[in-house]
Amino acid sequence: MPISYFQAALLGLLQGVSELFPVSSLGHSVILPRLVGWHIHQNDKFFITFLVATHLATALVLLLFFGRDWVRIVKGLGRSLRDREIAPDDTDAKLGWLLVVGTIPAGLLGLLLEHKLRSVFASAQSAAIFLCVNGFLLYGAELLRRRAPVVEEEDDARIARTVSWRNVVLVGAAQALALVPGLSRSGATMGGGLLVGLSHKDAARFAFLLATPIIGAAAALKLPELAGSAGNGVRGPALVGALCSAVTAYLAVRFLMRYFERNTLTPFAVYCFLAGGAAAIYFAVG
Amino acid sequence: MDSKKLLVVLAIVAGLVLIALGIVYWVEPAKSLPSFVPGHEAGSSHHHVKHGVAAFLVGLAALVFAWFNTGGKRTSRTAA
Repeated sequence: MPISYFQAALLGLLQGVSELFPVSSLGHSVILPRLVGWHIHQNDKFFITFLVATHLATALVLLLFFGRDWVRIVKGLGRSLRDREIAPDDTDAKLGWLLVVGTIPAGLLGLLLEHKLRSVFASAQSAAIFLCVNGFLLYGAELLRRRAPVVEEEDDARIARTVSWRNVVLVGAAQALALVPGLSRSGATMGGGLLVGLSHKDAARFAFLLATPIIGAAAALKLPELAGSAGNGVRGPALVGALCSAVTAYLAVRFLMRYFERNTLTPFAVYCFLAGGAAAIYFAVG
Repeated sequence: MDSKKLLVVLAIVAGLVLIALGIVYWVEPAKSLPSFVPGHEAGSSHHHVKHGVAAFLVGLAALVFAWFNTGGKRTSRTAA
């Protein structure tokens, strides 16, 4: 068996947390096996298949966690399609189309660049260096962020009013940074949200909503690999990994939605900088 | 024809072409793709599924853009 149940559980637990914390799940999935001496490489077919299962679990957790919001958003999308316009006071429709427009550039970049970036930045060493860079990016977003005015409005109304069409393309495209192991998707979108004037809480909420279709679609697109011959010998561990990932993803999103009511990205920036730097030095010396 | 109408017509044409291209990517192997299409590779039996998804989604987006731009005047929402 290319990946044991113990390894699958540990990587699943780690994936669920690091996918939603702005610290790069792919980076951690590349660095950890190298640190502990496991013969698991991010371009191994079985490992990609395993990651499909854990990502699918994370996407399902996000979908369920924001289930009521998604129902409203989808109804808003339907309403706007029916009326052939986004009514100025239809927050759900505006947010829905912001999510669609933000997902398109990330999806296209992901579809077209994923394979190339995976092969270029495959090593644990480069993942560690990019984790360090991720720390700088998070801290930079904190330094440069526009102070969000305190407004008594519903969360989604505030997001829909603050984020422009042009900005959502940029924030959405920033998600593609996550194709490079070490750079975080949620970090890029939260940082982007802060830069366009969202509060920490709204930026986190928007990042999680934006992440759901892209993580789910990426996993669904590769689902045939899990069902096909590439999944032979991996399905059991993948199921364990997915369950572990679902548990930690749920705890992570619950925690982060409360955390960002009062706190910033800075602790994550410091963690990425220190952990990435330490791992890079360890790999260079060892 | 004013510029808005022209843009809508272009979006519809581009949308239909891209959706058709997406289907071609899914159905035909790389060797059978027209030589001017990205991904054409003589002798390759690989199907460019991802290229197909990308073309299909951009085509769909173009049609949605055209759909909204042929709608009526903007009004406030009355039904929640």
